[in-house]
Amino acid sequence: MNNSIPVIIAMLIFPGGLSLLSGGLFFEWIDRKLVARFQNRQGPPWYQPLADTIKSFSKEEIIPEGGNNFLFIALPIVGLATALTSGLYIPLFGILPSYSFEGDLIVVLYFLSVMTLSLGMAGANTKDHFSLIGATRTLTQLFAYEAPFMLALLGPAIFANSWQVSTINQYTLSHTWFVFTQPIGFIVALIGLMGKVELPPFDAPEAETEIVAGALTEYSGRGLALFHLGKDAELFIGLTLVVTFYLGGLSNPLQFILKTLGLLLIITSLQSLFARLRIDQTVGLWWRIGALLVLFQFVLIAAFHLIF
Amino acid sequence: MSNKHGTMFNDIIKAFFHKPVTVNYPAESCEIPIHTRGKVIYTADTCTGCRLCVRDCPANAIDILIIDRKEKRFVMDYQLGNCIFCGQCVESCRFDCIELSDTAWELASTNQDDFNILYGRKEDVQKVLDSRSNASNIDAE
Amino acid sequence: MAEVIDENNQSHFIVPIGPQHPALKEPGHFEFTIDGEFIIGASARLGYVHRGIEKGVENMSWTQALYMIERICGICSHIHSLAYCQGVEKLAEIEIAPRARAIRTILAEFERIHSHMLWWGVAAHECGFDTLFMYTWRDREIVMDLLESVSGNRINYSVNVIGGVKYDFTPEIIKKTLEGISKLEERTKHYLDIITTDRTLLGRTKGVGTMTAAEAQRLGAVGPTARASNVVRDVRVDAPYAAYTDYPVNIITETAGDIEARFIVRIKELLESYRLIREIVNNLPGGELKTKRVPRKMPAGNVISRVEAPRGELFYYIESNGSEKPERIKVRTPTLPNWAAVINMAPGHRLADVPMLLVGIDPCFSCNDRSICFTGSQDVWTWDKLREYGIDYYNEQ
Repeated sequence: MNNSIPVIIAMLIFPGGLSLLSGGLFFEWIDRKLVARFQNRQGPPWYQPLADTIKSFSKEEIIPEGGNNFLFIALPIVGLATALTSGLYIPLFGILPSYSFEGDLIVVLYFLSVMTLSLGMAGANTKDHFSLIGATRTLTQLFAYEAPFMLALLGPAIFANSWQVSTINQYTLSHTWFVFTQPIGFIVALIGLMGKVELPPFDAPEAETEIVAGALTEYSGRGLALFHLGKDAELFIGLTLVVTFYLGGLSNPLQFILKTLGLLLIITSLQSLFARLRIDQTVGLWWRIGALLVLFQFVLIAAFHLIF
Repeated sequence: MSNKHGTMFNDIIKAFFHKPVTVNYPAESCEIPIHTRGKVIYTADTCTGCRLCVRDCPANAIDILIIDRKEKRFVMDYQLGNCIFCGQCVESCRFDCIELSDTAWELASTNQDDFNILYGRKEDVQKVLDSRSNASNIDAE
Repeated sequence: MAEVIDENNQSHFIVPIGPQHPALKEPGHFEFTIDGEFIIGASARLGYVHRGIEKGVENMSWTQALYMIERICGICSHIHSLAYCQGVEKLAEIEIAPRARAIRTILAEFERIHSHMLWWGVAAHECGFDTLFMYTWRDREIVMDLLESVSGNRINYSVNVIGGVKYDFTPEIIKKTLEGISKLEERTKHYLDIITTDRTLLGRTKGVGTMTAAEAQRLGAVGPTARASNVVRDVRVDAPYAAYTDYPVNIITETAGDIEARFIVRIKELLESYRLIREIVNNLPGGELKTKRVPRKMPAGNVISRVEAPRGELFYYIESNGSEKPERIKVRTPTLPNWAAVINMAPGHRLADVPMLLVGIDPCFSCNDRSICFTGSQDVWTWDKLREYGIDYYNEQ
């Protein structure tokens, strides 16, 4: 069940590639604009993320001494590439995926993890202490938020009896939304998504006032732009995943826009309500509560299956 | 007081449905409180040439040029670029010759000449300008 | 990057904060020796914004020096000029009219309000709570507009002259003041509620940077930093100046001594300021604004002037040799003693707490940079010897 768009266009222009990147930039704009409105100020105009990307590409890239030059240049490219590739298996923009196959849920999740890993490795690749501390925090947060996020996405997969994202999509389209039948799983998936994409209050790895810019401190110019694009793509894909699983699936672009923007609204309001948590607080909070909640959810699912 | 999460919830919901407080200056003009301290304005009519304002200015921004002391004709040479808008000259003058404008506060300019201001009667100012251009002509020659 | 080897032959990283760092609004250099995420040593280096003001005023007349002194700091400019004017007026033995003193006090309290609100927003930003930052600064605009209506400028108000004040409180301004103050009071109470109950904010401020009263006394902390550790010290009460003799204030203290206590002390000081401003504005004494005959040459002598800036005790020593220009003006700003408190309480905390520790004392780097030149012999005096000297000096006055 794949769409019939020719290979090269699907990978480069629509629905992957340029469309995915534009969608990511658009969502970044919506995020910043909503946060600004919540803070009673105006927010940037619609072309701001695009302007930032173009500006970053046009600046000089300075490669600091003391690290591996090849890795320094390659890691942003790897990060962006994996983020873009993971978009081939999910119903982006509400249309059928381009390359789905049985078991591609795992592939999508691992590709998103590679993005975060490349961020961590990029931070460890310099002699700068701020980057090192940022890299440590990124990887710690990866451990703490990845596992509950994956487990939360498995809840609907169990009901749909499949590990293929498009099959799960078909299942959720025709059944009650999982947000009502598995609310705990929804909360875990939402918080897991925020932690994965390093949105406040879970932005300790990128805490501006403590460690300048975390793992990205030494990056400038092209590498920085590629990492930012990768993060935007990750946000886009993560939102699509959570909507597909918990908010009743996607069958057409209009539904896609409405549902993802609704979820983004919830996420931005959560962003503006809390102070930043320290790294030990984020890990302590989520390793315990997140894992427990999702296991509790599994117990409920198992009980449901046994009884009915 | 119980500990709560998201204590600013009411604020952000209210803000979402209201206009933002940002003022789009310079597209919109903003409301300036009364008594703003703007540019110095000098009227030569009541000036006696005591030069207390010059002595007290902390930034050396003003100078009183004497055209004719007996006839009380003075010209003020005001360097807008040096002025710190403190208002000490207004205090020092006992004859109310100086005031700080509360409407002329948008003083940016791309032209250096806008910062050399001469106040006084027209013919006096003309005399000063003429003597300055004569002096520069002599230097040039 | 620097590493340091300690006595067990283990090497530790040194993380430099500053002079360019998003956590610091002004340049200063701090080196924290860390072990994993915990700090085991700290040191500070200042002097990046030294401008030579104390030398500059020696070439200006007393009136001109007033404006230079006012620009030592942007946030606490009025209190600097107030301390200077008080000192010079004491030298020249000029009496200030009650209305002028009351207006000076109102401006000082306005300044305290705007300074604390500014600090608040910055502290919330350091915690990552940008929403609170934006809201506090939006509400701060109310007091900035009030300041501009009275004096004509948002910063560096230049309200003081030697002998009185320049600007008056008209009935229109009084009405605006009362309206603005009630609006601010309502918002401040809301923020006090947020500070004490919001869980994430408490997680960053409760129990962090604790300083006991004994430590605060020993390190010489001043201002709200000391009052949060239950040290009852406030120049407005201990040695009242301006109109504080006629309109007294209450000292606000907290016992916990951590960053949350410093937040609470400053907010409660805001509420106290609102009460004081209302009281003065509703009972403004009549009279003239400034003394008519102020001499151009101040009589020879020296004088000490102490006031309570928003950050703590501000101390001026002014010496005159009978001419038109000051001989020596020495300024000791409140941030300087508070650095010792920060350096002392840093070990044992996590690196993530560093911005909160630094901002908790309300640092003002441009105020505190001075340079000292040692000439002659270098004697070390003990604390007791210094105290004895001070007591003798005051007994002679």
